[in-house]
Amino acid sequence: MNLPPKTRMLLRHETVLLAVLVAEFLFFGVAGRNFGTPDNLANIVRHSVEIGLLALVMMPVVLAGGIDLSVGSTLGLCAVLFGKLWRDGGLHWEVAAVATLGIGATAGGVNALLITTLRLPPLIVTLGTYSLFRGLAEAITHGTDAFTRFPPTFLFLGTGRIAGIPAQAWIFVSVAVAMWLLVHRTTFGRSWRAIGFAPEGARYAGLPVGRRLAFAHVLAGTVAALAAITYTARFGTAKADAGTGYELAAITAVVLGGTSIFGGIGSVHGTLLGVAAIAVLGNGLSRVPATMSNAGELSGLLTGVLLVLALAGGAVPKWFVDRRSRKDPAPVLP
Amino acid sequence: MSCLLQLTSVTKSFGAVRALKGVSFDLRAGEVHALLGENGAGKSTLIKVITGAHQPDEGAIEVRGNRVPSLTPGEAHRLGIACIYQQPALFPDLTVAENIGIRLEALGPFGRVRWGARRKTAEELLRRVGAEIDPDAEVRSLSMPEQQLVEIACALGAGARIVVMDEPTASLTREEQQRLFGVVQGLRADGVGIIYISHRLEEIFALADRVTVLRDGESVGTRGVRNAEGSDPDRSGPTLTENELIQLMVGREVASIDPPPSTRPGATMLSVRRLGCSSMGLRDITLEVGTGEIVGMAGLIGAGRTELARILFGLTPADSGEIELAGKPVTIGSPREAVALGIAYVPEDRRRHGVILEMPIADNMTMAVHERIFPGTWLRPMAERSLAERQISDLGVKASGPDAIGGSLSGGNQQKVSLARWLATGPRLLILDEPTQGVDVGAKSEIHKIIRRLADEGMAVLLISSDLPEVLGMADRIAVMRGGTITAFFPGGSDARTVMAAALGQAVGAGTGAKEGAPC
Repeated sequence: MNLPPKTRMLLRHETVLLAVLVAEFLFFGVAGRNFGTPDNLANIVRHSVEIGLLALVMMPVVLAGGIDLSVGSTLGLCAVLFGKLWRDGGLHWEVAAVATLGIGATAGGVNALLITTLRLPPLIVTLGTYSLFRGLAEAITHGTDAFTRFPPTFLFLGTGRIAGIPAQAWIFVSVAVAMWLLVHRTTFGRSWRAIGFAPEGARYAGLPVGRRLAFAHVLAGTVAALAAITYTARFGTAKADAGTGYELAAITAVVLGGTSIFGGIGSVHGTLLGVAAIAVLGNGLSRVPATMSNAGELSGLLTGVLLVLALAGGAVPKWFVDRRSRKDPAPVLP
Repeated sequence: MSCLLQLTSVTKSFGAVRALKGVSFDLRAGEVHALLGENGAGKSTLIKVITGAHQPDEGAIEVRGNRVPSLTPGEAHRLGIACIYQQPALFPDLTVAENIGIRLEALGPFGRVRWGARRKTAEELLRRVGAEIDPDAEVRSLSMPEQQLVEIACALGAGARIVVMDEPTASLTREEQQRLFGVVQGLRADGVGIIYISHRLEEIFALADRVTVLRDGESVGTRGVRNAEGSDPDRSGPTLTENELIQLMVGREVASIDPPPSTRPGATMLSVRRLGCSSMGLRDITLEVGTGEIVGMAGLIGAGRTELARILFGLTPADSGEIELAGKPVTIGSPREAVALGIAYVPEDRRRHGVILEMPIADNMTMAVHERIFPGTWLRPMAERSLAERQISDLGVKASGPDAIGGSLSGGNQQKVSLARWLATGPRLLILDEPTQGVDVGAKSEIHKIIRRLADEGMAVLLISSDLPEVLGMADRIAVMRGGTITAFFPGGSDARTVMAAALGQAVGAGTGAKEGAPC
């Protein structure tokens, strides 16, 4: 098939990322202690589900040319409210979980409303709700209260296995498949892409720009609530600081995965590779004796290096393409 | 009289478009030389050649008798060439003195600013242009004409001997205009050569010593202006010279565009009554377009034609008046609603609004019909491909295939993609805004044939174009807009001169030209 150059470039980006991931596996498999054991692999998955979920829904927002800095705080707020509904509201945890998804959707809806009706920049709006939602979570718990002693059926979501695979991995895979279909196989994805490339152009084409952006933010809020549930089930406790800094981790994974921060370009599978590359790197470093003691700092540092290399790798061919296409219509100076 | 600037046989092409075809032009010291021409005649390109922004492909430039082999913006500045644009390019948050200083001063040792000297220079320059402006005022607090005076002061301070003024009065009131005229006359008395661009004939007769008219990238003549010292810009009624000028601008040749106009429009499709929108300066627009009819909209840039299209497509709300579509009153709140009503708009700015350049042309062509060809929101690549392939062959789009990226196509083919997107919606009313701007000759006549065919199939077409021969040749009826309203209607195939005169606000010849004296 005759692929357009942009798609070909994208493929290349994802191929590079896959190679990085394979290299990580090979390196840590040799240098790491107990890196390749089933238990450790399950561990990697468990630890990356929440950030992975946030990245999956951050991706459409970024694809449409926006950003959502509030997802980590939404996670914290939802975790606390879930605990509150279950412990103080006396609800079954299943009911509380469904209600929590509604709360997450509402939080996303607040962002959507401010962005689409007041036409405020997403960066400003979500920077505001980033503080707002976290503040609410802290107010509800007075900063110190923590919800614990959840029932075992609930904790199973965070610690149990289904068919030998961590329970929350099933949730993650379902969301990933759904997001892939949404972005790559429906008019929603097509519209997000168009809006990301040219918001005005999309409006002139009669696309429902406001509704599409709103949907992306509501989706982000809802899945952040889902991440709050798996997070709480994993730790067995819900506190106001749940998911602190996760929004940046999610954005990093999305950008590393090849989604353009300016919108329009990107893929869900790229995002998944981005999540995996970061998660494996962090875990692997903690398994290598030489780096074990400061794995946290090193993985942050190396993630940064990876990000810059991945972006530079994408920018160099693009620069050549731009230079060639710029020659074409109106040369200003020789 | 000494010659300040001499251009000889300058040509300039952008791709296939020849913007200047051997233009010669000269400017003497102490004269106001007006440059006149329709939109797209090559005025802007010529100005950019003079200010060094564009390098000519061929031809010679001489400044004060010295040949300049390659004129760059920096070189132009050194040679004393300055340009005053319609929108002054000053720093709004700095004071007048700071703005002048930044342009003119070399910094002292260690980058030190001599505040006293800076203020004095500013005061003196402002006095020279006759401006009563506080040098310490922030530019943001100045009116547009005051900002223009600051620009002129900068030009003077830089020792400019050649000053280009590009439609300097476009946003000025009558008194402000008079003040500016005074400054221009003062510059002329000092021996500065001024190239003055304006669409307003009365200004040209009030100010200019000579006029050069450009048409289709060629100079069609340079004439001396009689009564140059006549200071009565309110003179009503055309003089012989005004008629001559209009004649020069539109040319003698009868517009010959292949498709012959159809004759009988059907039932009224669009009816607009007393439409107005104060935020966009539109008022009292009444217009009808019948099925199968092409209504051409002539007028100058800024007359309000695109703004009218924006209202009809739901991009900007109107604040008064009524719109009826096929006899039913409608409100159009968004482009989506417009699409649902069967209105399509092929926008003027094809690269920003018409086509999403980064996306494949198939995606572009189906973008306005998602609901219809992708029911249930699932993409159907086969259906999309076949629609795109049909459109590509119907409209003769030259592209490698439906997967070709929009930006890889030529201007004319991008325009066809933009058109294809809207034809896919099966519109009842098609609004075309400058459909052949920047399109090569071959694609242009193909687009004309498509437009005529669509009208013959019963579509109501509103054709906005600054290309007068296009409007004259294509339209069954011509509406002329000026100052935010429709000032005249003409039958198709009318005399170019008459239509041009109406667009310029001169009540010449036949036509139901309404008098209007709206300040912009």
